[in-house]
Amino acid sequence: MTQLQRPSMVFAPMSTAELRALLGPAAEQADEILATLRTNRSRLPVAFPGLPRRFGKAVAGGGQRLFGEATVDLDAFRTCDLVAAYLVTSLDATEEEVLDVFAHGDIEERAMLFRCLNFMPLSSTTSRLFGEALRTNIVLHLEAAMCDSDLLARTLKSGTIDADTGNRLLLKFAFIGMDLTRALNIESHANATLSTMLQDLATEREAAGRSVWKHTYRMLGHAVCPGALGRLIGGLEHGDDGVRHAAADGLLAMRNNDSKLQPLLAQFAQERLPREPRETVRELLQQLATN
Amino acid sequence: MLIFEPHIHMFSRVTDDYEQLSLAGVRALLEPAFWLGQNRTSVGTFIDYYETLIGWERHRAQQFGIHHFCTMGLNPREANDNSINRDVLAILPRYCEKDSCIGVGEIGLDDQTKTEEIMMSEQLELARNHDLPVLVHTPHRDKMKGFQRCIAIVKEANFPMERVLLDHGNEETIKITRDLGCWSGFSIYPNTKMDPARMVSIVLEYGIERFVINSAADWGVSDPMMVPRTCVKLEQAGVPREKVEQLVWNNPIDFFAQSGRINAEMLAQPASANLRETFDGNSVLRGQDPDKM
Repeated sequence: MTQLQRPSMVFAPMSTAELRALLGPAAEQADEILATLRTNRSRLPVAFPGLPRRFGKAVAGGGQRLFGEATVDLDAFRTCDLVAAYLVTSLDATEEEVLDVFAHGDIEERAMLFRCLNFMPLSSTTSRLFGEALRTNIVLHLEAAMCDSDLLARTLKSGTIDADTGNRLLLKFAFIGMDLTRALNIESHANATLSTMLQDLATEREAAGRSVWKHTYRMLGHAVCPGALGRLIGGLEHGDDGVRHAAADGLLAMRNNDSKLQPLLAQFAQERLPREPRETVRELLQQLATN
Repeated sequence: MLIFEPHIHMFSRVTDDYEQLSLAGVRALLEPAFWLGQNRTSVGTFIDYYETLIGWERHRAQQFGIHHFCTMGLNPREANDNSINRDVLAILPRYCEKDSCIGVGEIGLDDQTKTEEIMMSEQLELARNHDLPVLVHTPHRDKMKGFQRCIAIVKEANFPMERVLLDHGNEETIKITRDLGCWSGFSIYPNTKMDPARMVSIVLEYGIERFVINSAADWGVSDPMMVPRTCVKLEQAGVPREKVEQLVWNNPIDFFAQSGRINAEMLAQPASANLRETFDGNSVLRGQDPDKM
């Protein structure tokens, strides 16, 4: 797959009115804090740490929603995340202000800022904070930066971060073992270099007798690298249901990109089908087995 | 028995101490901001230190199932340094708002200078602004006079006594603090000052109401296990187990719960310990396999 390389651009942020509407009963209290900050915005670093305890960490809820260019899964966003985003966007916080809060923030402040990125224009702030995500292994932060939205996919598509940074972020994703389906639309970033990196990690893990990130199979199907076909076909015989599902999924993607593979893949799918115990995997094999 | 160690400087301790504390029943601890053994030369070193208290130290404690809290403040010894004290006061508000900050401290008096008094007063105001209780360091020299002066400053500030923990007390200071309504802290040391046997005597005579005990362990000769050791001595002396637990678990929680940032419920389970996580890329494992820890 060819990696899209576009010049850096800034997408329009969502309107703060939309964000405020998500806050529900918390909106009035958020407005009070906002009014204080408008009077003295240097208080932002003092206001920020208290947001989780003042507004709670309960999930906001509401499923996947489109805000401007951004798709976010509100079932993973907490009220404090949304209040933080409301404050940062309403104040039109500068890169310097955001990075200051991040640099001196605690675990929760940093998580909220990663979530805020979804509602801010893609910019060098986005790029700088993804750079910070690369430096951490804290699952809360990696999830906040890369999961439950299409932020990573949009950031890559816009060229706000380069493909190499994207590959390293996704390798970390695999290293931590996070669920790829939570990074919305990220399959669009599949590329042969990333597949090679994932393949190498998988081989290293296997040599150490450790489990392999199952989404490796999925990503390898979207962008082929040496050894990908063998791994995916072998994946159909794996003892783990999730791996077989990902392998079948990957093989379907591989076939869609290269129709010449159809006869070969159909042969393996037909051979596996009678022995496959899982209905969801059988459905994929059925598609592979037919033209 | 569950223990909340309400005064220990883990910044100066090795990781093995966390493991020992955890094995001895310490589920939560409080690390007051303090003096690092030598004077600092710029406000930047305070910033880094405060961020260690809310960052790396929390992470390190969590690896052993221990909840880590802190108090933020300018310690009395460095309060005397006019080249930095104002700058430190200026940065404190953002750190007082951090989730794991449950008080202002250590503030108080050490050499008992006028500057220390001014800084203590201003930090009482800081605590009031952030709705936090205060942990007051009292002098190790000329202690009685220092206690009296600390109490006078709290009264002058009209700061609520029930939100004040006067630390490093002894048999003499109880006599002037018992009826004030404030809390009394006793630091148990291995060889000097208050020891487990003396603490047992105090409990037998005065009970445990509004008392907490701590090790105040730091970079000097000190013992982080002093609270568990004292628990054993108290039980051996016939103090009922529930009273001991009130002293070393419920009392510190009750005092610091006045911050509105902790309660017994959130401490019901050990801190989550994901040994695969790192902090700023750093791990306590030093390359060891997390599955074998």
